[in-house]
Amino acid sequence: MKSKMKYFLLTLLVFVQFSCNDWLELIPPSGLIRDEFWKSKEDVEAVLMAAYESFGAMDRNLFLKGELRADLLQGDVNQSDDERNVAESNIYPANFFASWADFYKVVNYCNEVIKNAPEVKEIDKTFTDFQLRSLVSEAYFLRSLAYFYLVRLYRDVPLVLEPSESDDTDFYLPQSPENEVLEQIVSDLKANRDFAPTESFPTIQENKGRASKAAFDALLADIALWRFQYEEALTHIQKIEQNIEFELMPSSRWFQLFYPGNSLESIFEFQFDGNRNQRNGMFGATEQNAYQYDPSQKAVEMFGREYSKEIVRGEGATIGKIGDDDFIIWKYVGQSPDGLSVRAGAQQYSANWIIYRLADVLLMKAEALSQLDRYTEALLVINEIRSRANVQPVSLPFNKVAFEDAILEERALELAYEGKRWFDLLRMGRRNNFARKGKLIEIIVSNVPSTQKRILSAKLTNPSGWYLPVHKDEIERNKNLFQNPYYDF
Amino acid sequence: MKRIRTVLIFTVALCSYFAAHAQEKTILRGRVLDKGDKTTIIGANVVEYDSEERVVNGTITNVNGDFVLQMTNPQNTVRVSVIGYKAQELEVDPTKTIVVELESADVALGEVTVTAEARTTGGLTNIEDRDRASSSVKVDLMDMQDVGVISAADALQGKVSGLDIISASGDPGSGSQLVIRGLSSMGNSEPLIVIDGIPQFRVTTDFDLSSADSEDISNLINIALQDIRSIEVLKDAASTAIYGSRGADGVLLIETKKGRMGKVQFDYQYKYNLNVQPPAIPMLNGDEYIMLQLEEWHNSQGAFDIPPEIAYDRDFVHFYNYSANTDWLREITQDGATHDHYFSISGGGEKTRYFTSFSYVDEEGTTISTRSRRFSSRINLDYFLSRKLLFQVKFNYTNNFRDNNVSIQGNHWRARNVREMAYIKAPNMSVWERDVNGNYTGEYFTPINSYQGDGVTYFNPVAVALLGMNDQTTNRLENTFMLQYRINDWLSFRETISFQYEGSKSKNYLPYNAIGADWLAWNVNKAEESNNLSNSIRTETQLTFSSPFENEDHSVSGALTWLTDQSGYEWMNLQGNKTPSVDIKDPAIDPQINWIGTGSGEDRLISGMGNINYKYLDRYLLQTILRADAHSSFGVNNRWGLFKGLSVGWRFSSEPFLSGTEFLGESMLRLSWGVSGRQPSDVYARFASYESTGTGSYILNPAIAPTSIQLNNLRWETITSWNAGLELNLFKERLYIEGDVYQKVTNDILFGGTRPEDYYKIPVSSGYDGLKFLNGGEMTNTGWELMIDARLVRTKDWLVSLNFNTSQNINRFNKLPENFNTERSTSIGNGEYPQIVMEGEPIGSFFGFRYLGVFASDADAVARDAEGNILRDGEGKPIPLQYADTYIFKGGDPIYEDVNHDGKIDLNDVVYIGDSNPDFIGGFGGNVRYKNFDFSVGFHYRIGFDIINGIALQTEGMNDRNNQSKATLRRWRIQGQDEEGMLPRAYMNHPANNLGSDRYVEKGDFLRLNNVKIGYELSKDLCNKLGVRRATFALSARKLVTFTRYTGQDPEIGQDASNPFWIGVDEARTPPPQIYTFSLGIGF
Repeated sequence: MKSKMKYFLLTLLVFVQFSCNDWLELIPPSGLIRDEFWKSKEDVEAVLMAAYESFGAMDRNLFLKGELRADLLQGDVNQSDDERNVAESNIYPANFFASWADFYKVVNYCNEVIKNAPEVKEIDKTFTDFQLRSLVSEAYFLRSLAYFYLVRLYRDVPLVLEPSESDDTDFYLPQSPENEVLEQIVSDLKANRDFAPTESFPTIQENKGRASKAAFDALLADIALWRFQYEEALTHIQKIEQNIEFELMPSSRWFQLFYPGNSLESIFEFQFDGNRNQRNGMFGATEQNAYQYDPSQKAVEMFGREYSKEIVRGEGATIGKIGDDDFIIWKYVGQSPDGLSVRAGAQQYSANWIIYRLADVLLMKAEALSQLDRYTEALLVINEIRSRANVQPVSLPFNKVAFEDAILEERALELAYEGKRWFDLLRMGRRNNFARKGKLIEIIVSNVPSTQKRILSAKLTNPSGWYLPVHKDEIERNKNLFQNPYYDF
Repeated sequence: MKRIRTVLIFTVALCSYFAAHAQEKTILRGRVLDKGDKTTIIGANVVEYDSEERVVNGTITNVNGDFVLQMTNPQNTVRVSVIGYKAQELEVDPTKTIVVELESADVALGEVTVTAEARTTGGLTNIEDRDRASSSVKVDLMDMQDVGVISAADALQGKVSGLDIISASGDPGSGSQLVIRGLSSMGNSEPLIVIDGIPQFRVTTDFDLSSADSEDISNLINIALQDIRSIEVLKDAASTAIYGSRGADGVLLIETKKGRMGKVQFDYQYKYNLNVQPPAIPMLNGDEYIMLQLEEWHNSQGAFDIPPEIAYDRDFVHFYNYSANTDWLREITQDGATHDHYFSISGGGEKTRYFTSFSYVDEEGTTISTRSRRFSSRINLDYFLSRKLLFQVKFNYTNNFRDNNVSIQGNHWRARNVREMAYIKAPNMSVWERDVNGNYTGEYFTPINSYQGDGVTYFNPVAVALLGMNDQTTNRLENTFMLQYRINDWLSFRETISFQYEGSKSKNYLPYNAIGADWLAWNVNKAEESNNLSNSIRTETQLTFSSPFENEDHSVSGALTWLTDQSGYEWMNLQGNKTPSVDIKDPAIDPQINWIGTGSGEDRLISGMGNINYKYLDRYLLQTILRADAHSSFGVNNRWGLFKGLSVGWRFSSEPFLSGTEFLGESMLRLSWGVSGRQPSDVYARFASYESTGTGSYILNPAIAPTSIQLNNLRWETITSWNAGLELNLFKERLYIEGDVYQKVTNDILFGGTRPEDYYKIPVSSGYDGLKFLNGGEMTNTGWELMIDARLVRTKDWLVSLNFNTSQNINRFNKLPENFNTERSTSIGNGEYPQIVMEGEPIGSFFGFRYLGVFASDADAVARDAEGNILRDGEGKPIPLQYADTYIFKGGDPIYEDVNHDGKIDLNDVVYIGDSNPDFIGGFGGNVRYKNFDFSVGFHYRIGFDIINGIALQTEGMNDRNNQSKATLRRWRIQGQDEEGMLPRAYMNHPANNLGSDRYVEKGDFLRLNNVKIGYELSKDLCNKLGVRRATFALSARKLVTFTRYTGQDPEIGQDASNPFWIGVDEARTPPPQIYTFSLGIGF
């Protein structure tokens, strides 16, 4: 009897314990919790898509990061104070522009995919090894692209390779040296390049909007060029050239790169579709009534009909004239290269953000070749781009400086407002131990108010000033970070 | 069960049969006296018991100690009992007047309580008030009825040591903020409110983005004041541990009135309050404002084009609209009236006792178009099914309607209310529009663009108050059922189930003609409606026991309790704009829908507890509590929180060696220790949730992303407290002194919150902005309290008593979490104070520049070294003092101390400049009663704290187009001007003439005459003639005088700790009005 009682009590206790825990286990009524997530390949894909989406949502930011401090852009009355200060290289750590939050959000999503996808494969039997490696490779691509931007903007950044899943994660990582970050992403890209999808999706949006092998090659080439590894860059570029999927658009259809986009020339571009509320930020930044950003005087001189002979890429295509001495950026606003027909309806917000296209890669090739003293081949590439744009071929003296300047000029003409200019300038400025620092400074100060030109050229002799500060809040939150010495006063 | 019911019905029927057939009436008459001094005892219970010890009939003695009892059966026994005396059985002799002399009880009191115990709901501890060895204070509200107080919080202000009560705002129905023994955690500390044993649920909401949160909680205490019998404040953890996770900030136990045996009593009370706004800070009139604006422009720009609004230009179309002298504050201020009706019926017989009340309060605010109406009713019913079985029902319904004003954000960084706008609105603008010829058009003057800015950001406060709508209706229902069964003499069982329900509906409407906006603006005719529902169910199963053995020396009591608590909420919000007409204020009808949102949530709690109280020789007391809580906020690993309390008491006055001391009354020394805890305010915080992203897709594929970090380490915040106290009763209860010292240590402080801006910030390189919560750090509150109650005169006609209390609390951060960002904000600039936290400093410290006056001339504005010598550059010229790298100071600019003498005023010159924690809080007062008159006064004080005068910050800066206070008339105007108390020069968009500095940090010390009352009670004879039981009249005034040196509107600034690093800032809330009350009470 007594032992029966004991068992009864014990059972009761166990029962109470279990039912208590069940009764107290309340999960949020909206959203899925981590325990319910990561069950199928669709979950993996959904987070990967979130990474694409949030990277794409940075388009306005990528545009400004690549143009604001350079010489082709000019703020209008509605430019924010923070952005104006950046444009004038008058940057303080409290400037919102210096926040790297958006990049690391993408990094975290990618880390989630990279870590959890292999575990999902254990659960979801329909998840093939091929699909797994393909999805993971895309995550590696986006993470590497994010870090490549970060390195070019901040030089040394925290290298976060694990997702922030729980409060056990170490959130307080110090910066890793630029080279370490680059080594990491190069090896990631090389290891995953062959698993990347190749033009295998049913829609052109997916083929152009998701990382393909060619996107990997372009990114690897870009990184190699940034690291002045010219032979290396050429091997990656060669793979793209061998890929028959890509060819330069004929000059008559050059504007189709931007409207409707996803052209034959395109290698990788973030997709937008106003009809599905996937709206870009570029229309808002460059349309006429926003009064935010306009072409600079330099850009007007490059493209304006009264100054230059650019027909294909000039007035009406890259920029549009809306009044006397009044120009706007046309690539993301217009629907034909006439400077008149503005995109309508949902199309207004549907312009894609191009990360890589063939012309860009070919000019990278020219740059690599000329740095290797292979001037004839380089000149051939430059003139290929020029002839596509219906402008006269150039002939150049066979020396590095002449080619550097010519390629820089050609890239400005071809890739204006595609978020490339600032990084092109930086690449030149850093090359050969800052040999052409002066040229870089000259270009930067050409686009600031005359009162600041002199003080700014003095300040910018310190190359640390070419990079952004770590945002004030971030420095305060993470004691393991050090501030870029240029801003540490 | 069915059988029991049959038996019950049968028993009841039998009783009534007997009652009906007791033809022969036995009438007992008598008088009850005190055996000692032979004085009559009023209110003694004379109760008839049948042979089975059931209560059959009863009465109470009247004012002369006389009673008349009509017995149902002469064979029954009659007993006389009253608290403080030994009960005594009567000889049933209807032939003569019985004189009963009761012996005053000392030890026997315990027995009385045991009898009573079966009939009260009691607390969770089954312990007598007298024996409690932990720190608590009980305030009896029975005698506070006629003072002009609106709510219970009002009545407590300044009465209880260690309890800091601050009015949230003077607007009607806005509630108060209560802090017991200092802020002990991040976010707002709010004591748990327990009404008749039922903790009031706190709704954990993630929808409430406004500041309404703290007010909502304090609103709970706004039950009809007249219903409250007493409020008890539990202060140390030994006593609050019993409420476990929810008692961490202290507990307020509110007991409502109950029915008592006797004749039916009707009571009616009417109060009329006149609410008068104290005089506002004087602001510039239109002419002075225009002069100031011209000067600002001139100083900053030299020659300039005078904007037509401030140029005296008769040809300007709006000339008449911009040449007024409007006192905006006066336009939006009114004297409010409050009507308070209260009606109650109580009574009962041997089986049933009831108390029911009904109250209606209509309160008008001192800002135009603010009003609150509250209707509440309460029924407390006790039904004795038998001597062993008690059934109790409590029902309470409150309907609260609040008519507030709309706050509008526009382009400003936060929404501004009508009063804030009245301070800054240009006084040369007219309230009503006038045409070119100066004739009124009948419309409010709300230009789309005025001189100050757009018509939404700078709205017309009168138009918004009168045309805008912001109504909130709240319905609250509370229902408690309790069944108590006495198993035997020492054991009883009790089951309590209570339901609480609250539904509130808010409606906002902003018509186009209240703001200056064109038809395309998004906020034209904006209608918003939201519904919030919350409910909770609580069950409590309790087994209580008391001294199972008969022994005079030892006494043991205790309880075992098991309780469950679940509460849930849901909300819906609908916002539309451009409704077709200003008469259509419903967002469901034809507007453009801007936003629709819904949400819901639930939380659950299980807890088990036991407590044992032991008493030896009525002198040595030991009380222990152990409670374990499991809350759904936590994961399995940290789910259970263990709370405990241990208190010992020594009633030394009962020691034989002190028995000879005449002057010493019942006195006790007590010591307690306890641990209580707190769970996070967001029950789902621990989960990492995956949600659809902004657009929800990329190309055609769905996109889902994690939105928060999973919290594996979330655990209970614990508060450990020590308390030592002494209670002294001296000179035959003439003098009562109570003193306490305590220390409260908060460990594993919960940093974070429900709103994204409150999250515990982590580096964004993690991909997130913050963790919802993080436990860490340590904070202490140390302090002492003293209460003195003196009854100086106590004769038949005179009663004079005085009371005094004071307390001091010192708050300190001992430790901050590792990696904690101590710099909450390092931005400096006009109107901005950097926010910094330091280990060793209290929560709520202010940091900023030191303001030293005004540079009399340009030559004075130079950099100086530590010795005061002027710093010179290579050419021997003085180096000018500059602000950051952007501005060089000139004559007329303010002088900030260049702490590091680097010639630059920047973040490095920021120092500690004040602290919002009061050193001493308390109150004192007195009562005088002479015959039928009584007079009382109560003072409330807070000493030793600083306030950032946010109003002065806004109205003395002289760098924008806002109206400024009259103080700016003393501004610097010409080179060399050097006067005492001079303000800096007016300068449009000056980068640094109004930096966050100690210029606006003021001592908040105040002493306030909280209430004065004169009352008169009609004499018994007159009452009898008029046929009423009692009649009282009273006149009272509240917040009549405030002694303070604070120059703002009112020094009673709450420690709104929703941002713990930015508390104690005066931000133009409506100050509490002066209230004059006439009240009238009649009982039948």
